[in-house]
Amino acid sequence: MTLEFAARTQLGDFSYDARFEAGNEIVVLFGHSGAGKSLTLQLIAGLLQPDEGRIAIGGEAVFDAGTGLNLPPQTRRIGYVVQDLALFPHMTVAENVQFGMTGEGREQRLAEVLDLMHLGEFRERKPRSLSGGQQQRAALARALAREASLLLLDEPFSALDESLRVELRRELIRLRSELDLSVIFVTHDLREAHLVADRLAVFDAGRLLQFDGRERVFRAPANRRVAELTGVANILRGRVVAARDGTLTVEAGGASLRAPVPNGWRPDVGEAVDIAIRAERVNLRRLDADDPGQPNLVRGTIREELAYGATHTLRFESALGETVEVEIAARPYEVLGVGGQKSWTLELPPEDLHVMAVSSDAAAGSSASATTA
Amino acid sequence: MTALRVRAPQAGLALLIAVFAVFFVLPFAGLLERGIGGSGTWDAITSDTALDALTLSLWTSAVALVIAVVAGTPVAYWLTHVRFPGKGAVEALIDLPIVLPPTIAGVALLTAFGRKGLLGAPLDDWFGLTLGFSTVAVIMAQLFVGAPFYVRAARAGFAGVDAQYERVAHTLGASRLRAFARIVLPLSWPSLAAGAALCWARALGELGATLIFAGNLQGETQTMPLAILSAFERADGLTAAVALAILLLAVALVALAAFWLLSTRGRGTP
Repeated sequence: MTLEFAARTQLGDFSYDARFEAGNEIVVLFGHSGAGKSLTLQLIAGLLQPDEGRIAIGGEAVFDAGTGLNLPPQTRRIGYVVQDLALFPHMTVAENVQFGMTGEGREQRLAEVLDLMHLGEFRERKPRSLSGGQQQRAALARALAREASLLLLDEPFSALDESLRVELRRELIRLRSELDLSVIFVTHDLREAHLVADRLAVFDAGRLLQFDGRERVFRAPANRRVAELTGVANILRGRVVAARDGTLTVEAGGASLRAPVPNGWRPDVGEAVDIAIRAERVNLRRLDADDPGQPNLVRGTIREELAYGATHTLRFESALGETVEVEIAARPYEVLGVGGQKSWTLELPPEDLHVMAVSSDAAAGSSASATTA
Repeated sequence: MTALRVRAPQAGLALLIAVFAVFFVLPFAGLLERGIGGSGTWDAITSDTALDALTLSLWTSAVALVIAVVAGTPVAYWLTHVRFPGKGAVEALIDLPIVLPPTIAGVALLTAFGRKGLLGAPLDDWFGLTLGFSTVAVIMAQLFVGAPFYVRAARAGFAGVDAQYERVAHTLGASRLRAFARIVLPLSWPSLAAGAALCWARALGELGATLIFAGNLQGETQTMPLAILSAFERADGLTAAVALAILLLAVALVALAAFWLLSTRGRGTP
């Protein structure tokens, strides 16, 4: 099953523009609320009609602004689970699941789907008498029962507590491999996005900022805004001072950083860039007289410390000019004796530094000033 | 001190409730007392006048209800789903007969559909069709005053059904009609049933508009309320009026009880 999606639309002040393709995989649409994620699902389902674009499911167009084609929702073969589930309250679980079924063997298929979602014993129950997790499974079962090979899930687990979410995420991944499904999954939860995504689409203010494999989005965000949205704590503004042998030398604040040349883009010497490094990728070293002047080593002083139990988040003031956030696991925190020492050498490993172009889009979306350093 | 302060208003409230209750119960008691005690009650109930009036009342109000439901349901559904400038005015116009004194409704109907009315005159001239002072006029009067109750309740019922259900039903392959029949109708059923009951009760009790627009001809336009009025206006008519009133009251109670039973069964067990 494939999904080809390209749509542009204007809803009042909100302008939306996105295009992507999905195969047999879980594509996570990630972003803050109001970014256009749910809108994307409604456009695919046919509940909203874009001004321009083309949407094809399994190679067959369901919407094409060029030819005026716009299939109504009931003829698009999709399974759609909305955020509040919308289980029909006057019907039993079995009646809900059977609602979208057609043709022969309905009883057989009902039994299969209920079995798959562990709902057999609840088939005659009304939705309101089910727990949150059971309701969630019933809504999934109803969507699956149509034998749609494209499943749209809008923040499906957001109303559940953490332990249930973990279980249902695992279940979704299992379903994906058992049923040969394409899943478009909307979430604003970064951890959830990372866990279930094969590919990740990062939305912001009606724009698709980056669409890539999960690791690629997390390790090589397309710009400052994507880095911010995907939880990169440290985004430094710098200037390229040298570029040779696949390595860039960038000056940021008073420090010199070496970083690999990013894929598909080669900045000029003198060009302003953004450098991203995740908080958990910064290493702490005890102070050493040899450190100053060496690339990728910066002295810093702890200004703020937050203890989360399993990890500690430290905020450093350093020669980089901007606050550097470092996340360190509880064990190394104790072994290094971070608690009793304020001054440290920060190591920013070259392979964990990601250099990004300063784009006007990204600057507009971020709180940082767009003027070059 | 505190207890006293709390108790005083409670006692006052209890008294208020008691007086209010007596005010509403006493007229029914009076009706029954006079009816059972009166000598001519049974004769009045079994008279031709009474049977003609009851038959007419039942079937005309039933027809008015059916028309109100068949025409009012789509109107109510449409009104809950569209937005257009002046929608508030349209809704107010539909609600207007609820607050309109029935005599005004009768005069208004006469000026529109009477022999010399806006539409009535051309109908009479071209087709020889006269609506006023006919059984059709009875039904029109009942529809005019009763239908707004149904449309109003249906609008509230439809508005109470989360639009998300219908959207999901569409994504599950249901057409608009199927989504309406399987989702909207069952979920708004209590409101629709209540609206229908109100509409029917209002049509059954219709007097003022019917009198002005349809007249008071036994067997043709004389409904139960009109028969009661006529009986009352005769010398020594109170006995007959009371008898007819008890008959109408009994029929209405039985009908509403049956309707309530049917509608709660139709809604199913929650």
